[in-house]
Amino acid sequence: MGLTMVEKIMSRRNVAATKVRAGDFMTARIDGAMCHYQFMEIHRMAVEAGFAEGLPRIWDPERFFLLVDHHQPALSQSYADENVKIRAEVKRLGVRHFHDAEPGIAHQMMTDYGYVRPGELVVGNDSHTTAYGALNALSSGITRGDMLHVLLFGEVWFQVPPTIRIRLEGKRRNHPIAKDIVLWLAGLYGDDFAQSASLEFTGSLIPTLGMDERFCLATQSLELGAKFALLPFDETTAAFLEGRTDQPYEPVAADPDAVYEREITVDVDAMPFVVARPHRFDNVCPIGEAAGIRIDQAQIGSCANGRFDDIEIAARMLRGRKVAKGVRFLISPASQQVYLQCAKAGLIEDLLEAGVQIVTPGCGICQPKVGYLADGERCITATTRNFRGRKGSLEAEIYLAGPLSVAAAAVAGEIIDPREVFDEL
Amino acid sequence: MNYDLNTPIRGRIWKFGDSVDSDSINPYYLFPTMEELKLHTLEAFRPEFPREVERGDIIVAGRNFGCGSHRPGLVLREVGVAAIVVESAARLFLRNNIALPLPIFIVPGVTALIEDHQTMEIDYAAGIVRNAATGEILPLRKYPAMIEDIFLSGGLPSLARQRYLRETGH
Ligand code: SF4
Repeated sequence: MGLTMVEKIMSRRNVAATKVRAGDFMTARIDGAMCHYQFMEIHRMAVEAGFAEGLPRIWDPERFFLLVDHHQPALSQSYADENVKIRAEVKRLGVRHFHDAEPGIAHQMMTDYGYVRPGELVVGNDSHTTAYGALNALSSGITRGDMLHVLLFGEVWFQVPPTIRIRLEGKRRNHPIAKDIVLWLAGLYGDDFAQSASLEFTGSLIPTLGMDERFCLATQSLELGAKFALLPFDETTAAFLEGRTDQPYEPVAADPDAVYEREITVDVDAMPFVVARPHRFDNVCPIGEAAGIRIDQAQIGSCANGRFDDIEIAARMLRGRKVAKGVRFLISPASQQVYLQCAKAGLIEDLLEAGVQIVTPGCGICQPKVGYLADGERCITATTRNFRGRKGSLEAEIYLAGPLSVAAAAVAGEIIDPREVFDEL
Repeated sequence: MNYDLNTPIRGRIWKFGDSVDSDSINPYYLFPTMEELKLHTLEAFRPEFPREVERGDIIVAGRNFGCGSHRPGLVLREVGVAAIVVESAARLFLRNNIALPLPIFIVPGVTALIEDHQTMEIDYAAGIVRNAATGEILPLRKYPAMIEDIFLSGGLPSLARQRYLRETGH
């Protein structure tokens, strides 16, 4: 009986050095650990547990990455004060990979900087750490308590998950489609069908997807409940890593006779554009069924959709068009590197001409740091979540969609099938 | 705080549906201090909850409880929730409750067992939850030994400290 990708990597990383299978509990050796701005919470937890000075060590400073995202530049006095404490801890513990003077989402920066490599097991104290599965790495969010354990010993417990194989069949697109795919899956199978399972994406569409799309798939798989979300390693992955890392890596592929808990095939070409209505990720309908709903705000950004391809499609569609009167259209690149890439391609100018507001890279527009909604307001957004209150008021409504549908709504002032606005599609 | 899995728990039920998200449990970005959080936890689903919840109450909920971010539900312990009993929990919420620790039990079928404001008895050692009014029982899912150890040690940070002291010869 063959092994899935997860079973292979987990077997390599098993402290007990035995082969593990879906269902097994194990202690895993960690290749990389990512912490974001909540690092001080882990420090306080360590103090509470009896380490008077805080963490006594970092198990391997080369494998620890601390990126102060979410709140860049400091949004309040308390964050500014907290950042000073983080810098003192960085010094005390000898943290080597530290980014605090550069705004951006930690997940994007982890990959921008080549901190994640195929075949590795990487954890982070953030749910969307599933993102690096796009690089054929096993990556997942863990809790602060788990992270404390990882930072001390480089190990943490896992239950090896079963795997659901998702076949995406379809032809190359000239616009991003990953967000629609994950929403479509949520609509069909529910927001927990992959709860604590691992997803393996395969099928004819995958080779046509660039890294930005793959990161979106892996990131948003968390909203399906997934523990891990893995994509195959191919030339696209290799090209992305070229120049970002000089460390060797060992990609992983499933055995042909690997055992899957479930297999799902999506005919992407037959799939409509979709939106998730308030207040759940799986409250999904074809976009036509939500057509005509007026919007006050539109957004593209986050660890799911703040990458070059997401911003490029908006810029391409908005060239020669304007954001509808009264609509606030916010776009936030996921990192400084993405921002620079967009600027060099002339996208920022196009967006500004069309009336878009560019927001500093980071998590700002995903959680309400900027762009709060008032009672009764509606927002369509290519970000990660539409929970009630996610953008401020409990009486506001958040619709989730892909970047193309968001751009169309921003131009029309209402939710609309993007093919009706952009006849060039 | 230590939590002994084997001490039976008895309390009044607050019932919730499916996919109660961690933003609603812990909307820290709107209410950054614990004192404020306590006044707003779960209000997105039941506005009266933060006002009326009492020490010792038990939350019963449907599938995917705590979905969303990796944020812990410590605020629930602060407002007095004694245990959480769900059809299923999002994995990070479950991991948080194991690491903290904060009693959480997976009981498929629990939402049909009991109504809001009825009393439930949880007996981990016996492996059951019981509706005190009807006497009906359901099995709860036992944790593997590795996880029971974390609960018994008072959570993952304490377990980590014990190991650290052992390995460094203290
Ligand atoms: S962009 Fe949103 S979902 Fe992603 S890490 Fe930031 S706050 Fe979390």
